[in-house]
Amino acid sequence: MKRTQMFKLGLILAAYCIVGCVGLAFVYNGTSRTIAQRQQADLQAGLKEVFPKAASFKLTDKVKSTNPKIVVDEAYLAIGPTGTMGAAVKAHGPSYGGDTTLIVGVSMDGTITGVKILENKDTPGLGANAANPSYYVNKATKTTFAGQFAGKKLTDEFVVKKDVAAITSATITSRSITNIIQVVAKASADALGIGGSAQDPKAVLPEADTIRPAVTPVTAPAGVSISDTSVGTKAGTIVGAVATAKAKSYDGDVTVMVGVSTDGTITGIKVVACTDSLGSSILTADFAKQFVGRKAGTPLTVGSNVDAVTGATFSSKGATALIQQVADALAKALAGGGL
Amino acid sequence: MKRLFGIFVNGLVVENPLFVIMIGLCSSMAVTTTVANGIGMGIALTFVLVMSEVIISAFRKLIPDSIRMPVFLIVIAAFTTIMDLEMKAYFPALSKSMGVYIPLVVVNCIVMGRVEAYSSKQPVLDSLFDGLGMGLGYTWVLLALSIVRELLGNGTLLGFQIMPSSFEPMIFFILPPGGFLVFSLWMAASNSLRRRILTSRKDDAAQQSCCTLPADGTAEKA
Repeated sequence: MKRTQMFKLGLILAAYCIVGCVGLAFVYNGTSRTIAQRQQADLQAGLKEVFPKAASFKLTDKVKSTNPKIVVDEAYLAIGPTGTMGAAVKAHGPSYGGDTTLIVGVSMDGTITGVKILENKDTPGLGANAANPSYYVNKATKTTFAGQFAGKKLTDEFVVKKDVAAITSATITSRSITNIIQVVAKASADALGIGGSAQDPKAVLPEADTIRPAVTPVTAPAGVSISDTSVGTKAGTIVGAVATAKAKSYDGDVTVMVGVSTDGTITGIKVVACTDSLGSSILTADFAKQFVGRKAGTPLTVGSNVDAVTGATFSSKGATALIQQVADALAKALAGGGL
Repeated sequence: MKRLFGIFVNGLVVENPLFVIMIGLCSSMAVTTTVANGIGMGIALTFVLVMSEVIISAFRKLIPDSIRMPVFLIVIAAFTTIMDLEMKAYFPALSKSMGVYIPLVVVNCIVMGRVEAYSSKQPVLDSLFDGLGMGLGYTWVLLALSIVRELLGNGTLLGFQIMPSSFEPMIFFILPPGGFLVFSLWMAASNSLRRRILTSRKDDAAQQSCCTLPADGTAEKA
């Protein structure tokens, strides 16, 4: 009795489900084409907006995000009359009130051609102004928050309130979106083959007059990959060494270039890249500057003798640990000779 | 006809789902930052409510009592999805700005509550008017909330600049605390109106359902 009752109820429920599903199938059939068309039109308009000069766009799968939280949805090569002009990439990443979806265009010369924010779920009136076409971060020139990135060089610092104007009362939104833009733009540049813009080692070893590649590569500590080691000489004598190294940081990677003189003093630091969420702010020169003059071998601790960049404590810690490891390795190699 | 009109009017003030029954507040607080969202959400919920109430009322004798909840959910979910798809196709901007709150109509207490408390026991025509009344009651509250919040918090109405440019938007009204403040002020106004209505028709207080509060205001004091 009980079993037949159960069976009956199940059948009734199934009948309601079937009717509901059939109804939904009809509605879906009726609307799916319109929805797809609309999304496609939105996307094409967005691509055209960030890359006005391109004649057409070709889907590519080469653009890979370096941060697990920032996801590349679709990447397109911008095709002009003379071939590939750059890339336009649709991606989403975390912001204050949820994911923000945007399109970034990057041209072959390493310049951002435009940014369009497609979707932003931050607070209306505050963070949501990121996507507001009539909210200007610069009222005089009528520049929107996303608009200010057009023409920006990838080698710029991308630090909010420094070379990026913030949205009033929405610092976290400004920082998050700036970071997404930077990560996506750099990933696009890598895919275009213009990414690994060679850094000049002289910048971190000003004493040297000639820079040559190291004879034997410096042994990298565990967890660190040293991509490039060079030696600086002055009038034939070695004055120091420079290494570019990469390691895991908070949730992405951090890449630094470290210069160390023969007496083990840090001569210069350049934070080349940081793909952490909100990590791009440690690219500022002020953060790197504080390491200059420190001796390799002395402990560097964020909070006591190293100041973290506001809003990027974990990335600051990651970068500091990496700088220390690389400086120690370089000092050891310099002392051992054979470079 | 007069009876049906009474059912319809009931949802507007006397048994307003937001101000009197006080259910479904979460989404109403979240979407009323702009007037467009408020109207959109009101229409969306009214559509789902009316359709679900009518269908469930029509089939109420064919729904076994022990599985009525899953059946209600199937019906409500089907109509919510239909509405979600239609909005995506024909009002993409609105659908985008309301985000997750449209799919969440499925678990909105107002729909579930009215279906369970009213239309699963009442005839189709009564349910239709109850759905319309409740839906409109919900919509006008959203509209009232969002007009105040958008005007004071953003200086605009439906996206058009209303306030002079010297007016500095009071962001407080866009944020949740401002939402609660506006909500409570409107509720005070609506409940004072409600009390006046109830005293003027004290005689037919016999019709009491599960969701009707005592007219003398004892529930508010409790």
